[in-house]
Amino acid sequence: MRPLDEKETTAVFEKLFKFTGPNLKHIVERPETEGPDDPPGRYCFRLHKNRVYYASETLIRRATNVSRERLVSVGTCIGKYTKTGSFRLTVQSLDLLAAHARHKVWLKPTAEMSFLYGNSVLKGGLARITDNTNAGDGVVVYSMSDIPLGFGVAARSTQDCRKTDTNAIVVNHQADVGEYLRHEEDL
Amino acid sequence: MGKKKNVVLPPQLPPDIEVEVSDEDLAFVKENQEFANFLSRLDTNLINRHVTRVADCKEDELEALYEKKKKKADLKRAKEEQGLQVDRVDALPIKTLEGELCYRTVESKPDASLKENDSASEVKDNNVDKGLVRLTKAERRQKMKKNKKEAKRKAKEQVKEDASGGGLHSDVLAKVEKELSAEEVFARKKIKLAEVGMSLLEDPESNIKCLKELLHICSEKDHNIAKLGLMSLVAVFKDIIPGYRIRLPTEKELEMKVSKEIRQTRFYESTLLSSYKAYLLKLIALEEDPSFHSVAVRCMCILLDSVPHFNFRENLVAVVVRNLNSSDDVVRKLCCETLRSLFTNEGKHEGQVTLEAVRLISELVKAHDCYLHPDILEVFLSLKFDEDLGKARPKENAKVSKKKKRKKYLEQSNQLPSTDGKRRKHELMTKTREELNADMKSVSFTPDNDERRAAQSEILSAIFGTYFRIIRHCMDSSLSRPMLNDISSIRLGQHPLLGPCLTGLGKFSHLIDLDFMGALMGSLKKLAGHSGSHCGSTSNSLTVSEKLQCCIVAFRVMRNNLDALNVDLQEFYVQLYNLLLEYRPFRDRGDVLAEALKTMLWEGKQHDMHRAAAFVKRLATFSLSFGSPEALAALVTIKHLLLRNSKCRGLLENDPGGGSLSGLVVKYRPDASDPHLSGALASVLWELSLLSKHYNPSVSSAASSMLSTAGMNPPQSQAFLSTVSPTKAFEDLTTEQELFKAANKKFSPSRKIKSGNEFVLMNAEDVRKIESVGDEDVVEGKFEEHFKLLKDFDENERLRLELDRTSAAFRLYGEYRQQKKLKRKAKEDKKRTCL
Repeated sequence: MRPLDEKETTAVFEKLFKFTGPNLKHIVERPETEGPDDPPGRYCFRLHKNRVYYASETLIRRATNVSRERLVSVGTCIGKYTKTGSFRLTVQSLDLLAAHARHKVWLKPTAEMSFLYGNSVLKGGLARITDNTNAGDGVVVYSMSDIPLGFGVAARSTQDCRKTDTNAIVVNHQADVGEYLRHEEDL
Repeated sequence: MGKKKNVVLPPQLPPDIEVEVSDEDLAFVKENQEFANFLSRLDTNLINRHVTRVADCKEDELEALYEKKKKKADLKRAKEEQGLQVDRVDALPIKTLEGELCYRTVESKPDASLKENDSASEVKDNNVDKGLVRLTKAERRQKMKKNKKEAKRKAKEQVKEDASGGGLHSDVLAKVEKELSAEEVFARKKIKLAEVGMSLLEDPESNIKCLKELLHICSEKDHNIAKLGLMSLVAVFKDIIPGYRIRLPTEKELEMKVSKEIRQTRFYESTLLSSYKAYLLKLIALEEDPSFHSVAVRCMCILLDSVPHFNFRENLVAVVVRNLNSSDDVVRKLCCETLRSLFTNEGKHEGQVTLEAVRLISELVKAHDCYLHPDILEVFLSLKFDEDLGKARPKENAKVSKKKKRKKYLEQSNQLPSTDGKRRKHELMTKTREELNADMKSVSFTPDNDERRAAQSEILSAIFGTYFRIIRHCMDSSLSRPMLNDISSIRLGQHPLLGPCLTGLGKFSHLIDLDFMGALMGSLKKLAGHSGSHCGSTSNSLTVSEKLQCCIVAFRVMRNNLDALNVDLQEFYVQLYNLLLEYRPFRDRGDVLAEALKTMLWEGKQHDMHRAAAFVKRLATFSLSFGSPEALAALVTIKHLLLRNSKCRGLLENDPGGGSLSGLVVKYRPDASDPHLSGALASVLWELSLLSKHYNPSVSSAASSMLSTAGMNPPQSQAFLSTVSPTKAFEDLTTEQELFKAANKKFSPSRKIKSGNEFVLMNAEDVRKIESVGDEDVVEGKFEEHFKLLKDFDENERLRLELDRTSAAFRLYGEYRQQKKLKRKAKEDKKRTCL
């Protein structure tokens, strides 16, 4: 387990920034709630076995007691480095993203299952969309009862969404909570 | 009789002859019936002769001739009988089918009857035209004066009156003028105006020449007379202008031989048109003159309102639109009203003038760089658009295309075997059919749908062009603009047009093209004060109310285009969240705030849990510190939000923290600028329990009802869904307060006391009772009583506490004694056992 180097940090932050925008500041500067320190420590990112974890400083200090090869996980895993060296956000980061997301998409109840099986969001399944979403922005997908279902990348801006037909793809799928079942062993 | 119709019979004798024909005269007539008979016979002869001779003469000559004859007759009569001028009783006027009056006897008789006629028609005009009413009054006054004079000198007066009454006899008038004072000249002119006007209204076709005379009067030096002339001309034109546009005949048409009637109509129309043109030119010229300005504008407004279909309307519209920006309130209001009625009564002019007016206004806005009085844009609000027109289009298109297809197919199938002759025949047929259709179209009264649609879309584009221009201008100026220190800028505020522009956008939002929507939302966002992360320094100069209005309009636009896409306007919510902090009760408009709460929170169906909680918390805090109407509006909104979002009801529990729901933010941050990051779910709505002790009964009851529903199960509380909207609540409470204030105004000292003690939490009933009692002493007494009671309570409590303490001490002592006794006993027992 080690802190991210500069290159890795930019890669992670770029990904997160796509979803959270200026709210990234709140993620980085989030004060921890456990621990005896006064002033409280921060939450920080750690790399362990090609995965990036988001955990409070106190927790990380405690985790140093466990030897490196025996440590399975610490805090929340938010993504991993692929074999080719690029960074991917995994579905575990959903809660973090949902709390700070700038662009959101709400799905109609009929379209929920399709999305949870890993398909992209079509215009027909779109119930609501945040204003001013541009193509390429990171989008968090919600059900109509405000439960985050996953996230993806907007394929069209809000303006274009109005005009397209019902079968056009609006959000490209990246991760959804269905993966907890489908890829249980990978996570 | 047929000839008589053509004769002009100007009825110019003084109006009060009838009064003079008194009992005395009647008695005389009865006595000497022979004389009377003779007279009547002679007169009819005379008239008959006159008529036969005159019929072929031209009109001008006729007048002169007639005058001469009348004079002669007068002279003769004066010689023949001094007191015998009477008895026209046996010869009442005859009314022909065309409505003309024919008189058979002497001139004095028709005049009397005409006067009656005049007064009747004037009564009709009374409510329409002020000028004429004034004239009738003047006439009456004149009559009174004359009555007095007649008592003095009877003999001469008859002749003079004849002369003065015949207002058209200019030579006689000149003589009389010398004798009369200036005031009387004025009065006379007024009578003349009235008479000419009446004759025009009576029979415009034959009296059309009189228009020139009236025009002449308008250019007199006396301002009052000229103004009266202008006004009476308006009245005349309003009545005699036909319901169609006059087209002057071309030269070719003039050369053609036409019947007499047509020539007459042509003459009439050309005279009318030329004099109308001259009149308009005069009006436009006088509009520059400050002393005539308001009269001229008023005249033009009346004309535009009543005859918008007629020639030269473009000039009228131009002047009226130009005067929309007048600094004179009356003139501006008048112009606004005129344009409004022009917009609402489109049937009068088939919508073309509307388009012109809208275009002119937008040009005006452009020319003045969006620096005009807000009334100008409020005119747009009365525009109406027929939505069915737009819907009809696609169907028609489909039909047409189907038809076309079939036609093409038919043609193709036809063309193969057809010879030249057949084709020619076919072409001829289609041509004639097209011509026929065109003719039918021109004849039918209903305006063509296509044309109307085209006109509407042009109007719309002009309006939205104006609106967008204003918005863009506001944005530019708010970013980079040297502060203008004009007087006008102080008077009108910085963006005078923004308010009505936003209202207009809200009203017509369903007609905005989707392509514009993105740009519009972007600019609205900027106007609402959204500062991006990188450019936080651009604080624009709009007031809070205007920013709130921007938010409201954005929501309206979105809601009206809901069928396109349901878009969540997150950034406007953030804006509203922050604007709540900037709101000041007396500086900003409370109704706008209530409206914003209604459109954004109360009507919105879907809300994020975090966002809803943040708004609930902030609104509760907000309602603690502001006036009761705002507080009530906020409370109604809170109630609604709590009912809609069951997860937010955790706020009503006494347990802070919010558990897992509170998300990443564990502690409530009241100063957060983003509702998502405020962590409101971790807080408790303690404000409600304070508000339930609010001095205003409605606020306190609203708060306490919310507290009482807290423990209920969701299904039960669903039935509690209040139907009162925030705006309604706000209005109700403000009006109530106004009434309260009005009732309390009499005794201001007592109010002072009341307002000084407002923070004392008292029973609402008490407050009301106190306010209902007027006398200061009584109020003082009540307060004394109240505080005494409070003091008594305190005293009582203290005493009871003391009592409790002492009794506790006693008990303790008793116990101690008992224990001591027990111990002693135990010791003794021990001793005994030991022993």
